[in-house]
Amino acid sequence: MVTNNLASIVRTMTALLLASSLCVASTIPDYPVSHPGDYAVSTRAAGLSIGVQPVEDPKDQETYFRAELKAKGFVPVFVVIQNEASEGSFLFDKTKVTYGPADSTLSTPKTGSRGADAFAAAAIPFVGIFAVPKIISNAAEVQHNLLKKEVQSTTLSPGKSLHGFLYIPVPKDAPREKIHLRVPITRAGADETLVLDLVF
Amino acid sequence: MLPRRYPFCFFVVLIATLLISEALVTADAQTVPPPDTKLALKAALVVTPEFCATKFTKGSWATVKETFEVGKIACAELEPALQKVFSSLTSVTVAPSSGNAPSTDAQVVLTPRFVDVGAGVGVTAFSNREMDVFLEWTVKDASGKTVWIETVQGSSKHHMGNVFTHSKNLKLIVSDSVRDAAQQSAIKMSSAVELRSLTP
Repeated sequence: MVTNNLASIVRTMTALLLASSLCVASTIPDYPVSHPGDYAVSTRAAGLSIGVQPVEDPKDQETYFRAELKAKGFVPVFVVIQNEASEGSFLFDKTKVTYGPADSTLSTPKTGSRGADAFAAAAIPFVGIFAVPKIISNAAEVQHNLLKKEVQSTTLSPGKSLHGFLYIPVPKDAPREKIHLRVPITRAGADETLVLDLVF
Repeated sequence: MLPRRYPFCFFVVLIATLLISEALVTADAQTVPPPDTKLALKAALVVTPEFCATKFTKGSWATVKETFEVGKIACAELEPALQKVFSSLTSVTVAPSSGNAPSTDAQVVLTPRFVDVGAGVGVTAFSNREMDVFLEWTVKDASGKTVWIETVQGSSKHHMGNVFTHSKNLKLIVSDSVRDAAQQSAIKMSSAVELRSLTP
């Protein structure tokens, strides 16, 4: 009798262990990638196409980030750049990208980690001790996902494209102003820099 | 007799399963080696003391606070990984472009920089968690012009560990992720058309 009870306790604990592991392992979907011209705002210069899409719908933010980023003071902006030229490579350096209100000077977007830190500071409410491990795990998963989806510096060889998110600070409790995004792209091995400007 | 042994057998099977899964996860961190054809270029790898000391601290008092010491491991792993890519590779601790750097006959200068790291947090000690390291490369030619820029992602998975094994598991996941980033760097450089075009 005691042995049967012990066995059922072990089975239950194992099932709970596996179930909790599966919950953590659930993946967050990637944002769909299309041609730059298919996004809300796009432009083209010297064989380069760029498209940007601010992801502001709370439902979309929940789907792709498992978080409401507007409430944390960020708008995720999906960026796609494609080198459509038949020859010549371009260098995309994330640290050179600047943003600002459409009618003022430009700043540098926040990195994924800074956005994630802001999220971490606000994402863990005071809850009962049994709920804490799952809440912590989810916050870490959300931060990790923000970082993985962030656009990174790369070389655009002919025909190659890049995509990812920039996290741009916006007011938490007020409608945002129009954003001016400036993306400088340098021709590989040369001093020539193209500047792509977008307002959205 | 048999029912009394049942819980013991169950634990043996459970532990065996966990050990096998850990072995599979470790095997997953291994990557494909770069192609055999070396680039006929003399390369200088810039590993400054600051780069070798790079560490990231994540989490807060409310979560799990962890320090990821990525620089120390990178400085041990990058040179052997990249020696398979270039016909000649020398490590330097000062960037050749800086004023107090010794003269070098390198045709390309490889400068790494850690962008960020991200890691999930497992709910239990046996939960697998994933870590990603983002390592950015800037490659300049002999004239000092940037010819290639790329961000590589090194990943690995390990168990979270308990209060006794967490420190050991943290070192394992960091070293495997950085080792993977070194391998991915070799693969990306080896296949970069921009670097191949510099070879005589």
